[in-house]
Amino acid sequence: MNKSMLKITAFGIAVIGFYIYITMYVAGLSGTGSGESAGGVSPEAGEKIFWGDGQCSTCHKIGTSGSATRGPDQEGLASRAEERAKELGMASGLDYLVESIVDPDKYIVKGYDKIMPRVYDPPIMLSREKILAVLAFLQTLGGEPDIGALMKYKDKIPEASKKKVKPWVPPIVVDAAEGEKVFFDETRPVTCGKCHVVNGKGKKVGPELTGIGAIQTAEYFIESILKPSAKIVKGYETMYVITTDGIPYNGLIKSETEDELVLLKEESGEIEEVVIPKPEIAEMKKQEVSIMPGNIGELLSVRDFYGIVSFLQSLK
Amino acid sequence: MNNLKIVRWFAKRSIFVVLLVVLSLGSFLSVVPEIFAADIPVVAAKANEGATSGVELPQFESGQSSADSQLPGGQSAAGEGTATAAIEEEEMAPVQYRTFFGLDPRTVVWIVSELHLMFAAFVLGVPIFAVIVEIVGFKGGDIKYDKMAKEFTKLLSAAFATTASFGGLLGFCLFGLYPEFMGHMTNVFSPTMYVYALMFFGEAFTLYGYYYSWEILKGTAAKKWFHIFLGIMLNLFGTGLMFLTNSWATYMMSPAGIVPETGRLVSLYHAVYNPLWMPVNIHRLIANVCFGGFVVGAYAAVKFLGAKSDEERAHYDWMGYVGNFIGVGALIPLPFAGYWLGREVYSASPVMGNIMMGGAFSWTFIIQAILIGMLFIGANYYLWLGMGRIKGSERYTRFFKYLIFIIFVSFAVWLTPHNLPLSGEERAMIGEQYHPFSKYFGVMAAKNAVVNLIILATFFSFLIYRRGNKGEMCSFSEQGKAGKIGIFSALIFCLLMLISYAISLNFVELEENIKVFVKPLILSLYIQSFVVCLAAFLTFKNKGKLGQALLFAVTACIAVLYFWYYGFQVMQKANLVLRYLSVTQVSIVMSCLIMNAIIDVFMFRKAKLVGGIVWGKMPARSQYALILLCVVIVILMGLMGFIRSGLRMDWHVYGVLQDTSQWAYTPTLSYMGRIVGLIVVLFLGLVAFVFWLANLGDKKENKKTNTYEYERVTADYEGDR
Repeated sequence: MNKSMLKITAFGIAVIGFYIYITMYVAGLSGTGSGESAGGVSPEAGEKIFWGDGQCSTCHKIGTSGSATRGPDQEGLASRAEERAKELGMASGLDYLVESIVDPDKYIVKGYDKIMPRVYDPPIMLSREKILAVLAFLQTLGGEPDIGALMKYKDKIPEASKKKVKPWVPPIVVDAAEGEKVFFDETRPVTCGKCHVVNGKGKKVGPELTGIGAIQTAEYFIESILKPSAKIVKGYETMYVITTDGIPYNGLIKSETEDELVLLKEESGEIEEVVIPKPEIAEMKKQEVSIMPGNIGELLSVRDFYGIVSFLQSLK
Repeated sequence: MNNLKIVRWFAKRSIFVVLLVVLSLGSFLSVVPEIFAADIPVVAAKANEGATSGVELPQFESGQSSADSQLPGGQSAAGEGTATAAIEEEEMAPVQYRTFFGLDPRTVVWIVSELHLMFAAFVLGVPIFAVIVEIVGFKGGDIKYDKMAKEFTKLLSAAFATTASFGGLLGFCLFGLYPEFMGHMTNVFSPTMYVYALMFFGEAFTLYGYYYSWEILKGTAAKKWFHIFLGIMLNLFGTGLMFLTNSWATYMMSPAGIVPETGRLVSLYHAVYNPLWMPVNIHRLIANVCFGGFVVGAYAAVKFLGAKSDEERAHYDWMGYVGNFIGVGALIPLPFAGYWLGREVYSASPVMGNIMMGGAFSWTFIIQAILIGMLFIGANYYLWLGMGRIKGSERYTRFFKYLIFIIFVSFAVWLTPHNLPLSGEERAMIGEQYHPFSKYFGVMAAKNAVVNLIILATFFSFLIYRRGNKGEMCSFSEQGKAGKIGIFSALIFCLLMLISYAISLNFVELEENIKVFVKPLILSLYIQSFVVCLAAFLTFKNKGKLGQALLFAVTACIAVLYFWYYGFQVMQKANLVLRYLSVTQVSIVMSCLIMNAIIDVFMFRKAKLVGGIVWGKMPARSQYALILLCVVIVILMGLMGFIRSGLRMDWHVYGVLQDTSQWAYTPTLSYMGRIVGLIVVLFLGLVAFVFWLANLGDKKENKKTNTYEYERVTADYEGDR
């Protein structure tokens, strides 16, 4: 190898070395460390899982990060968990967090529904290590992470399910793409897209459905379409308002200020805004009824109905 | 050293080289010692993960127990009913994953596929380059172009065999290490695989036909055109092959044409023409040309640095210039194609889009920005140094300091992350989760603006390079019909692009309160259309320089300054309009580049020469700039390959077939850096080896007769630019 080739080789290796150094530097800056994977039981790995694989952010926000309201806001969770643990006579807040993930129906925060899936079951199927990482991250929300204490709970956390996912198959052949068209078809008497946003399309009256297929089952969608009031997503309960003139209104709160309340109410399949001055409100209470029309099942053909379910399932 | 000695030298050392490579690989990948481990069946593979496939075979009946297993063809095994049957079934369960002699299969496939892809990019990019150069040489009657095209085709034939070998290895690795996944892919794409094989024959025959018929098909125009036709066919076959494989790769990211729950194929057309297919096709096509150009540039630089005579230096200096010209030419539209691809990723899956730009992969784009910044800085630096060999270019050197300032400031803005991980204490001090100052430079509005500014600055560098030795211009009327047709054609093309998009913006389906944010975009497009017309008019009136300056100024004001500001407004108030803003921005910048380039060509076509170009009179550091460009583009390709593939996270086929192996995690940036670094070293080492092999036969011959006939100094090369 002559001198110029040696110089060229050294130069090339220096450039590649510089690149590797940059990746290591940026890795340090981003908090992903220098290991082989971003995995392991660490708050950093857990944070990634929270916003990624774990799909936690589909239902929970953390303060100003995220916007989901299906589940409780996780800001200050660790300190709240300590308080709950005391109320329930548990040893520590970590006990409460672990139990809440292992058996999500065990402790339901007041005002929320039993909608949290078991994250070790399909379709999320988080491994034990990933669940521990998420717990480590949750510990940092209003507290300090204690990996040593956390690892003692290792055996309490189930391994990811070995059950095979049995996909739901509609009784007739339908196409999710057709279902999407029906979902947004504004020529119909009722249009899902008038109240639900999917991937930035539609109107945000009801809960956003982007990514919903990753956390809910076909059975849930069927029930929600046929019986909208069976399970109402937190924050979307209907308010019953009676004015001082005795006029009753049922609707969703769009906004509320000191002076007025803006309600969204359904009228013959259309959503209308009603502005009610606060002094004119005689009574106001939450209803166990969804604003979503209860007769959608009757307005859809069987093919359209299953098409919509297939479409919702495909939103992963 | 004669050939026999070389072979002996290589044979003596090869055992050490092989040993060194094996040892390096072992330590590099931190391999487990269980070499030659047995296949990992499904249960063992999930010892840590415990997860099984997210996809079941078809024919699930409602109400069936989820624990029921199924036999192929949808027959339920339930009812066989015994524990023995269940155990037998588990024993016979198909293998999902295997290891590669104990090595992690994911990393092995990563390295092999990336090497295959890089060689394929070379094999696809260089023929485009070669045929264009051959046509230029043929039309201009300049033999040196023809020789350069042939020189690269010779390298191509050697690289082609290596590409095919890596393709075979990749195929075996995929079928061997990921049998279930490949079963799925075969179910969906088997018809296209036969087409692929047939097209591969087509590419092989046209490539060898193109190379070996070079001397035979000389002499008459008809023969030469037939030879060029072979080259074009070679490119068509190559592009077709790339498009086919792209359909497989993009299907994995945005599957279509199947029933997601069952994996059953419904439409092969939609599986191939999935949402990301065309954006990736276009992006890769341009990137391959860019890649080919920079590899050619580096080849010329290596030859230049080892050259023994002025003739050789002049030749390789010129070759490096042409390689760099094509590389930079393709680099300029690449960010636009990349943006389109990114936008389609968002459209195909907002979750994937968020993972890309706001999640696990957002930091990789900081590294990407550094690499692209290095490419632009390197390309500009080479052009500036190149002006040293042009007499008369001193008039323009005063612009360098401004260009350096613009490029570095833009680079700094591009590098600024949207957010840095803050501790609770820092967040409390700042009062919000984003840095109050840097956040304005971290958002896409700022990044799009500075990318366009860098592109405009690089284009300006190229223009002053072109003008280096040009003096007094002749009147535009002296340019004849060609000048008028050229300017008119460019004008009509730009107007069609700008006005048709402006009209289409009137019909976008948005709510009225959001649609008002589209109006400034329409107005901007009309303003730019007017300025393009004005620039053409001024050129006809012999004030082309003023027209160019005006076009530059208006473009910078609209596409950089105004859209930077307006991008923030849109982000806050009408996020949906962002995609239209970006396309408007791209259209405006493209119209500026096209119109200014054409004006420049015709304005200086018959200009007086101030001095000549002394080819070969380049400092060694200019050649290192070319080598830097090549190494960086290879690294960039490795990085982008990681991002594109990694976005699927733990899915083989996104949302359809889950990766349930123990390797289904996203590697950290530093691990990715090491692996990509290794891939780049292997690729460049292999390219050097292949080039050395390809030139082996010529060495002796070249010693006797150096057939190149180049002028040492010259205007002879003037027409090349």
